[in-house]
Amino acid sequence: MIGLILRRLLQLPIILMVIYTITLTLSWAIPGNPLEKPEGRQPSAEVIEAMKRQYKLDSFPAFYASYLESATGIAYARDALTGKLAEQKRAAAELGVAPPVHYIFDLGPSLQYNDWNVNEIVSTSLPVSVVLGLTSIAIALGIGLTAGVVGAVKPNSFADLVTLFIAMIGISLPSFVVGTILLLVFAVLWPVLPVGGWGTLGKLVLPSITLSLPFAAYIARLTRMGMIEALDADYVRTARAKGLSEMTVLVKHALKNAFLPVLSFLGPATAYAMTGSFVIEKVFSVPGLGQHFVNAVLNKDLFLIMGVVLIFATMLVLFNLAVDVLYRWVDPRIR
Amino acid sequence: MLKLLVPFLALVAAIFGVVATDRPDPEADFTFINRGDVTTLDPQRMSWMQDLRVARLLYEPLVRLDVLSDDYHIIPGVAESWDVSDDLTEYTFHLRDNAKWSNGDPVTAHDFVYSWRRALLPETAADYTALFQNIDGAKEFFTWRSEQTKAYAKAARDMSPEQQRKASQELWEEAERYFDEHVALHAIDDHTLHVRLTYPTPYWLDLCAFIVFAPVYQPLVQQYEQIDPETGLVKLKLGWTKPPLIVSNGPFVLESWRFKRSLFLRANPNWWNKDSLDIETIAIPSVEDPNSQVLAFESGSVDWVSDVNADYRIQMLADKQAFYRENQEQYDQLVAAGLDRFAIDAALPDDPRKNIHAIPAFGTYWYNFNCLETLADGRANPFHDARVRRAFAMCIDKQRLVDDVLRIGNPVARTIIPPGSIAGYTSPAGLKCISDAKNEQERQAIIDEAKALIAEAGYPSPTDLPRIELLFNKDGGHDLIAQQIARDWEKYLGVRTFLAQKEIKVYKDDLKKQNYMASRAGWYGDYADPTTFLDLCRTDDGNNDRKYSSEVFDGLLDRAKVETDPVARTKLLTEAERMIMEDDLPMVPLFHYVTIYLFDPDEVTGLNPHPRTQQNLYYIDMLRDDKGRNEVKPYRHAGQS
Repeated sequence: MIGLILRRLLQLPIILMVIYTITLTLSWAIPGNPLEKPEGRQPSAEVIEAMKRQYKLDSFPAFYASYLESATGIAYARDALTGKLAEQKRAAAELGVAPPVHYIFDLGPSLQYNDWNVNEIVSTSLPVSVVLGLTSIAIALGIGLTAGVVGAVKPNSFADLVTLFIAMIGISLPSFVVGTILLLVFAVLWPVLPVGGWGTLGKLVLPSITLSLPFAAYIARLTRMGMIEALDADYVRTARAKGLSEMTVLVKHALKNAFLPVLSFLGPATAYAMTGSFVIEKVFSVPGLGQHFVNAVLNKDLFLIMGVVLIFATMLVLFNLAVDVLYRWVDPRIR
Repeated sequence: MLKLLVPFLALVAAIFGVVATDRPDPEADFTFINRGDVTTLDPQRMSWMQDLRVARLLYEPLVRLDVLSDDYHIIPGVAESWDVSDDLTEYTFHLRDNAKWSNGDPVTAHDFVYSWRRALLPETAADYTALFQNIDGAKEFFTWRSEQTKAYAKAARDMSPEQQRKASQELWEEAERYFDEHVALHAIDDHTLHVRLTYPTPYWLDLCAFIVFAPVYQPLVQQYEQIDPETGLVKLKLGWTKPPLIVSNGPFVLESWRFKRSLFLRANPNWWNKDSLDIETIAIPSVEDPNSQVLAFESGSVDWVSDVNADYRIQMLADKQAFYRENQEQYDQLVAAGLDRFAIDAALPDDPRKNIHAIPAFGTYWYNFNCLETLADGRANPFHDARVRRAFAMCIDKQRLVDDVLRIGNPVARTIIPPGSIAGYTSPAGLKCISDAKNEQERQAIIDEAKALIAEAGYPSPTDLPRIELLFNKDGGHDLIAQQIARDWEKYLGVRTFLAQKEIKVYKDDLKKQNYMASRAGWYGDYADPTTFLDLCRTDDGNNDRKYSSEVFDGLLDRAKVETDPVARTKLLTEAERMIMEDDLPMVPLFHYVTIYLFDPDEVTGLNPHPRTQQNLYYIDMLRDDKGRNEVKPYRHAGQS
């Protein structure tokens, strides 16, 4: 188990390097100038030239190396070792002010949000996405498992058809439709919940339900399939023959095995729920990370693209690892 | 199975923990949704409308516009009074004694020199640096600095880090000296600022009222400017624009700024004019989705939506017209009494349908014609000939475009400058088009004239023209407008049109490289002078995407530049606009923009319907709260006090 974790963690930097190289090459190739605003005023040629020099946007290798240097903390270490940081600190102390912040892993400035560092953007929006993503996965598990078990107990019964139908809707209805309908019903017509925003439990309810529906639907179908198979298996017949209550048979014996495919789905699903919530963030004004995936690319905001892609890649690797660990814990047969 | 419940429960507990520790903003007196997320609060670097709007709350420039009067005249700001020389090139501003920064320090003339110098450094990347170049010597400084750092960057490659540090420091000191000697901007003492302009610039005070001319607090900002030893450029560190660091001199101070979430402002106790405020706090939540914005208003959680973009706004506006019809008699009386549109709405009976307001804006939507002889790929360009441009411009049914496609009440544009937006300026009549025809006969006459123009240009019939290509960007409804134009040209001229829809960055790239025949474009004016639009057609202007070049036109603008008599100057500018709008048509104006607001006129006062749509939100009063005067603030006609 420890070996597995160590091996995966050692692979992580290599995976990230590959992703970094591919993503940067692709985003560099996007037509358009990141320093130009699509709407609004255009900076003059001299300004663009000065900015390009400042951000090293005039040469791919220079940008590639300098980003790597600051994002990995090499630049910080060098500044710390050469005494540059201490010098700045001393200068600031002389003026009686706090020195400008230095990040160890500096992801650079956002070219689109002039006043924000990618570090700040990620550190404020990632917790939001994590909370929203985990809540919706928790809700999805609750709904999905229940619906799946109910459906599997009597396949093709009325209850099964109803849950299948709802699952179908959950998968096929786009979230902006579901989200807007929920908003209209629960925030405007019957105002029990806030329209949007972030920061209170009330504001978490609608977006997390909306986000959970497609996952819940998928989990329901996975559980149903697994349960139908398991309920036919010999060990379940044995359990029933022993005279165990139906509940115990279902939950303790059948569901335990039927849950395994759900578990392997949970890894990527959790990572996706945390970052793929672009539409939900928009509809409910949730300040999460998902929107930056789309907007950063449209604006060719190189620093922000790299920041969010690397964070997402790291999360994907870590969640898959977590699932593998859980797998072994739940099912000791896997070694 | 129960084993799995453990991590699950831990997770739920963690979520509750995270949410419970979050502290939401308190309820504000006035809550509004801005046009988009604020990108920067550094006044010199901003250009987005949403940034400018918040900056006007936080900072105060030398003078301000009285936005509650229909001529937007100049009123004192940090400057109490000012003297202007007879040749309109020298300005002496006298700063008030009680102007203070939010930390209590006095605002001085040196703060303005420092801030305006920042705007003139190429590396600050100030979008409006050109406006500062009206100051004598400023343009030269900008170019000089650009060359100076370029040369340094080359030389610095062979230096050791120690040498670089020293040399870059000297480089900066040299720049400071150059600025002091060559740029005619000086603080005579703490309370007197002297500026000399290269040309008489009648709109200079209007520029001084523009928020990018506001001061920043030097002791704070300069710590965030470091000289980069490798490039010699002043490198801006981020951070000073956020609380608790930010120090500002305007009506409000920034209490919190959470990325993509909200801004919260509180009245500045150190502002000299704080007694004029009728509200104490302002909240600006970030709500991006157009439908959610309307829902937020309808649920009562916001008081003003500053840019309604939901598709069903068309229906909302139609409902408002129905509401007017139901109260026709009273409405007519109010109009006859000379009330402005917000006051009329406030006087009419309470009804949710009256909360939407479409007001003309200081901007125009048009189609560019590429004026170069050949296209970017070497093909011959039919629009190189002004006669062809004129013919195509005549054959667009602008009225139908506005009535059937846009349906939000945009005024048809005959000229590039929106009518009534600049006090003292009247645009020429503009070129006639299909929608001017009152009957079939007149319509046919226009079509015949257009065909004759095309024939004169060497194409016996419009079908002899090469395939016409229309470039526009995805989203924003530009596709519908392009389709309508293509239909018109096919119907009236019989030409085939190819629609090229591109992603916005690609579209912009094509535009800059003249890789198009005709393309969608638009512009919002920045200051109260025709040149804010007309300069776009100057040969050497950075925004001349059409590559239109006329010595006569440039000459008219050059003459206007040195003309001190306002009447003669206006005449020159009207003639310049007539040239491009009636003869040469580098672009064909289609309609003027409208801005759509959502607010209840019975609750909110202090907003104005002027075409320049500058809202100084420190005028806001919530009529039904217990703070402030709670009186409707009228929008006055020029001359009324």
